Amino acid sequence: MEESGSVDSVESLSKDVTYICPFIGPVRGSLTVTNYRLFFRCTDREPVFGLDLPLGALSRAEKIGAATSRGDVSYGLVCKDMRNLRFVHKELEDSLKKSAFEVLMKFAFPVSNNMSLFAFEYKQVFPENGWKVYDPLAEYKRQGLPNESWRISKVNDHYELCDSYPAALFVPVTITDEELRRVFSFRAKGRIPVLSWIHPESQAAVVRASQPMVGQNGRRCKEDEKLLQAIMDANAQSHKLFIFDARPSVNAAANKMKGGGYESEDAYQNAELVFLDIHNIHVMRESLRKLKEVVYPNIEESHWLSNLESTHWLEHIKLILAGALRIADKVESGKTSVVVHCSDGWDRTPQLTSLALIMLDSHYRTIRGFQILLEKEWLSFGHRFQQRVGHGDRNHTDADRSPIFLQFIDCVWQMTRQFPAAFEFNEYFLITILDHLYSCLFGTFLCNSEQQRLKEEVPKRTVSLWSFVNSQLEEFVNPLYVHYPSHVLFPTVGIRHLQLWVTYYIRWNPRMRPQEPVHQRYKELLAKRAELQKRVEELQREAANRTASSSSERAGSPTRSITPVQTFV
Amino acid sequence: MDIPKAGIPKGESVKQKLTLPPHPDRQLCRPIMETFREIVVNEANFVRKCISAESCQDDLWGKLVCTNFKVSFITHNSLPRQCTHRLLGEHDIPLACVEQVVTVNDVKGKQKILGSNQKLKFNPTELILYCKDFRIIRFRFDEAGPESAKKVCLAIAHYSHPADPQLLFGFEYVGKRYHGSTGERVNGVDPGGGMQTTLFDCSSDWDREIKRTGASEWRVCTINQGYFISPSLPEFFVVPVSLADQDLKQYACFFYSQRIPLWCWNHSSGSALVRMSNISDLQQQRKVEQRISSAITKSHPLRSDVFKSDLDKNLPNIQDIQAALLKLRQICVIDPFEESEEKWLSSLESSRWMEYVRTFLRHAVEVVYMLESRNVPVILLEKEDRDLSCVISCLVQLMCDPHCRSLHGFQGLIQKEWVMAGHRFLDRCNHLKKNDKEESPVFLLFLDCVWQLWNQYPAAFEFTEVYLTVLGDSMWVPIFSTFLFNCPRQRAENSRDFASSKSIHLGQDQALRFPPVWDWSQQFSLKDQTLFNNPLYVGKIATCVQNGTVKTFTHSSTLRGLPSALRNGSLGPNDTLARRNSLVLRLRSDLSQVREQQETPSERFIRDFFSRPVDLQGLLLPQLLPSHLSVWKLYFLRWVPEAQIPQGGPITAFHKLSVLTDEIDMLQNQLRQYKGAGGTPNNLHAEHSKMYFKATSTPHQPPAPPEYLSSSFPFSPVGNLCRPGILGSPLSKFLNGAKIWLSTETLANETI
Repeated sequence: MEESGSVDSVESLSKDVTYICPFIGPVRGSLTVTNYRLFFRCTDREPVFGLDLPLGALSRAEKIGAATSRGDVSYGLVCKDMRNLRFVHKELEDSLKKSAFEVLMKFAFPVSNNMSLFAFEYKQVFPENGWKVYDPLAEYKRQGLPNESWRISKVNDHYELCDSYPAALFVPVTITDEELRRVFSFRAKGRIPVLSWIHPESQAAVVRASQPMVGQNGRRCKEDEKLLQAIMDANAQSHKLFIFDARPSVNAAANKMKGGGYESEDAYQNAELVFLDIHNIHVMRESLRKLKEVVYPNIEESHWLSNLESTHWLEHIKLILAGALRIADKVESGKTSVVVHCSDGWDRTPQLTSLALIMLDSHYRTIRGFQILLEKEWLSFGHRFQQRVGHGDRNHTDADRSPIFLQFIDCVWQMTRQFPAAFEFNEYFLITILDHLYSCLFGTFLCNSEQQRLKEEVPKRTVSLWSFVNSQLEEFVNPLYVHYPSHVLFPTVGIRHLQLWVTYYIRWNPRMRPQEPVHQRYKELLAKRAELQKRVEELQREAANRTASSSSERAGSPTRSITPVQTFV
Repeated sequence: MDIPKAGIPKGESVKQKLTLPPHPDRQLCRPIMETFREIVVNEANFVRKCISAESCQDDLWGKLVCTNFKVSFITHNSLPRQCTHRLLGEHDIPLACVEQVVTVNDVKGKQKILGSNQKLKFNPTELILYCKDFRIIRFRFDEAGPESAKKVCLAIAHYSHPADPQLLFGFEYVGKRYHGSTGERVNGVDPGGGMQTTLFDCSSDWDREIKRTGASEWRVCTINQGYFISPSLPEFFVVPVSLADQDLKQYACFFYSQRIPLWCWNHSSGSALVRMSNISDLQQQRKVEQRISSAITKSHPLRSDVFKSDLDKNLPNIQDIQAALLKLRQICVIDPFEESEEKWLSSLESSRWMEYVRTFLRHAVEVVYMLESRNVPVILLEKEDRDLSCVISCLVQLMCDPHCRSLHGFQGLIQKEWVMAGHRFLDRCNHLKKNDKEESPVFLLFLDCVWQLWNQYPAAFEFTEVYLTVLGDSMWVPIFSTFLFNCPRQRAENSRDFASSKSIHLGQDQALRFPPVWDWSQQFSLKDQTLFNNPLYVGKIATCVQNGTVKTFTHSSTLRGLPSALRNGSLGPNDTLARRNSLVLRLRSDLSQVREQQETPSERFIRDFFSRPVDLQGLLLPQLLPSHLSVWKLYFLRWVPEAQIPQGGPITAFHKLSVLTDEIDMLQNQLRQYKGAGGTPNNLHAEHSKMYFKATSTPHQPPAPPEYLSSSFPFSPVGNLCRPGILGSPLSKFLNGAKIWLSTETLANETI
């Protein structure tokens, strides 16, 4: 009945299902499961309401208790987007037909069932092709690269040295590809120090890497030392290099047991190492789990603040923002180049570099610039989205899952609160990104690396989230945005100025009233201004015509003194 | 110790008059207002005002002066400042704002909190002033003469504890007007006249309010003229028409302080809001209560029974509120920033301030429910009817009556429910620092509740949060009739006594005419007053012309324009699975219109409200989830340098909105001029603009927010608190002071 490819197909339809709503109690209705989503529509209530969620948002689905004597089955769904759902319905008489739950399990976790994700079926055509948003060479060119100090290296062109890095790498000109090859073996997972961003004036660079494989014996690597020296030398403004290790110092030291570690002062003479005290993926996962307990379904009113504190969520947000702020300050105020790493350089490192880049470079605060930032710092540099989110994988206890990217988006949201006019995008843009992080409708966040995405032909076979976003930009625009190009943002990272993102974490609460009253009002005012301008111009034209016809009695035409009204939006 | 008696100087007790010539252009060192009888009582030279705790390089040198009005610091170095106060310079603190005077001798390791008429056995090296507006200011006397330092400290302590209300500076300030001059306007401002704010000090003001709210079954009662019936009631108030003066006189004696129940306001449905004190005579209680209730019922169009809301039972008392504020102040400005960071949320919770704000808002919502949904008259019951009732009756009116959200409506509301109803401002502010038990920030709590409403519906209010903050601060500028007295009678008596003791001829006036705080020109220039104007405000007649049709602003358009993922409305008839071309758009569900389990009728009322589009000119209910109430940062954190967001904060959005509103204003003027008598547009606009930030002449480029804007604007934390400043790199403090950062050196040391 529909154009093939652009829609999902119904796989199971059950009538007489009860949705146990945590807010309003049991609701009866019909439950539809398609190969993409779950749709519940209540039939016994006025006004009608429904639930509609992509199966990709499910983290875990399981039957609760045994079938009752009446033949009812009950199952609970734990979602990645901060809610839990529970359904009860009669077991089907017809044993040949698959139950809704089985269908749900099949399509919610296609990877575990050797099926492909829905993104590979979704063929909606949008006016713009989002896969073209990011062109690494164009982005580096925007930064003025290559230049006399930095060159592009093709050493990883076919991902043979580092399969989690992009093909295009920028390194100091004084380092040969041969030397780079040696560095690959000294850095964890071959993630060598390469350039992320360069300051347009001071030439101070933000460089990212993974930990050096120092080990307990304090192994050294001549080429790595030379590379860091070269990074420092590429910036004439400073005779120092700051190495920001995202981890708590204890963790960094503990990594020596596993062959990792951190740069020693002896080996790296002009470098200063700073630990940023950000905890690992397991701590963050636990923190979000606690947060969910506190916000869903209901808020305990009398202890809201101390409960929130006990999740440590905002404290983690603070440490990440504080780390990024230190990096941005070193680069901007200290004109010093920085190297950022954690253990593998694919979780805390992109959090820090991308936040620092947002502070430093206003381009990344635009809608397209932000997309480029995600494509570059997160996707091309191999944040393991597949592992961290667990797309289509039923193994919800997987220790590799962690809300690292959510944390980053939360940090961005905190900055948009502090600087309401500095970002081109609105809150809805950020929420949309998070919703499609889980939905598996678009190919953008699939796989773990650039190499994997190319191997799976993700850009060819799926639609990019940016195709959708950029085809309806007006929904995502912050009307208060003021573009002032060379403006560095230094957010205030104290807990006093951080707040829980209630419109995201508490949005399922029916008492929630989402609105951006200021934005809405601003749009109304814009419309009013446009209308007034039109009328003033009309009157001006009339006045001009009148004076033209009644012509030259007076020396000066009165229209002369009328200030022409500019059209501006 | 030679401390002159605080108060009116009589020749020899005046130590000296300031000889500095007035600096008309130097707003930074505001001269002593000699014309208003401001007298210098003591001063010390070569005093250092501390700007940063880390180093003294930013410190300011100058003269510390104590007058009968303020503590002043006269310096020639200046710090950037945007908004200037007409009575107070950048470094001035009104004596009424000084909460605690602490002297320190760091050599001897001594410290003493100074009160009135006390001795000081050591020479202070340092003076720390803790202010009621949350500032903490530190002076050092390293280079000052030890004796003069001691004297100025003692003078500040003494003069900030006036023995008598008539020693408050307001009396001198106003008395001057009658002295020698012939009815000239004080400070160029006409007190009382020319103001649009209703003061409710005459019978006609009440008549107008009765008409405005359609309370035809209510009348103005004049039996308390001359305050013969009740000492704390105003001379005019409103009662049910069915109660005769004779009855009221008879009932008065049963009530606490003879306070006959006061009418506050009528809901459009005809339900009245009434406030009432306890009936002291228990034997008569039922009878009197019944008479009053039945009279109120008779005034109701449907003759509905009265609902009584007991505030004492349901709300925190004034001591609770005071304790909460002290704790809040402790965590906001006294505890070291970094150390209190970790426990900020739980400390905030244990201060209970936010909880109280929520409790008051919730109680007001309950009352609104009775008036709006149950359509019954409500009596607010409070023992004295002079504290909690003020808050609740105002909040109820703010939620229900859009008039109260306009600037003059709001000011009239405070006149009606606080000033005239006899809120004990003198005692609650503790201006005389006599009875700490009576001190309580009830009014500030009210302002915070208003701020929460404002924060949730910013376009519904004509004023800004700067206005609310400045209004709170004005409590500590002791010249306004609004905040100086416990009740209208006290004002009348005090000013009569003062006039007779000073042989002031009042002329036609019955008492000294203190300016109300609403006479904002006393404190701010017209330009600075534009900071009070909210560019978002949807006024009464605000309409939007779109495509030739006029449409009123309501938030229905908000919902229509909202992507479905954020929409909290029910499914439309077309929202079925069949509409599948829009897979990406339909990720959300919605429950807001569905009844919750075990919902009380008032909860249902609230839920119904939230499931409908909001009419900003209609009923407004606050979102009461604790996650939706915020700390009023502009008020509580503006002096904390570390909490400031340089070039950020809500003010940057305000800036952009102001510019747009100003452009619209400009265009409307142009239209008017075209339509008018054929005149040509001129450039009068700039002077008449209502916006603080104005449209630029090159509107093609939206202006970037000015660099001086910060989340504390228009206040500046620089020079307050004994803390590091943030001049220079905004990060310097954060980076230097953070303890969590280990350098390689420390690490190396640890491993050894």
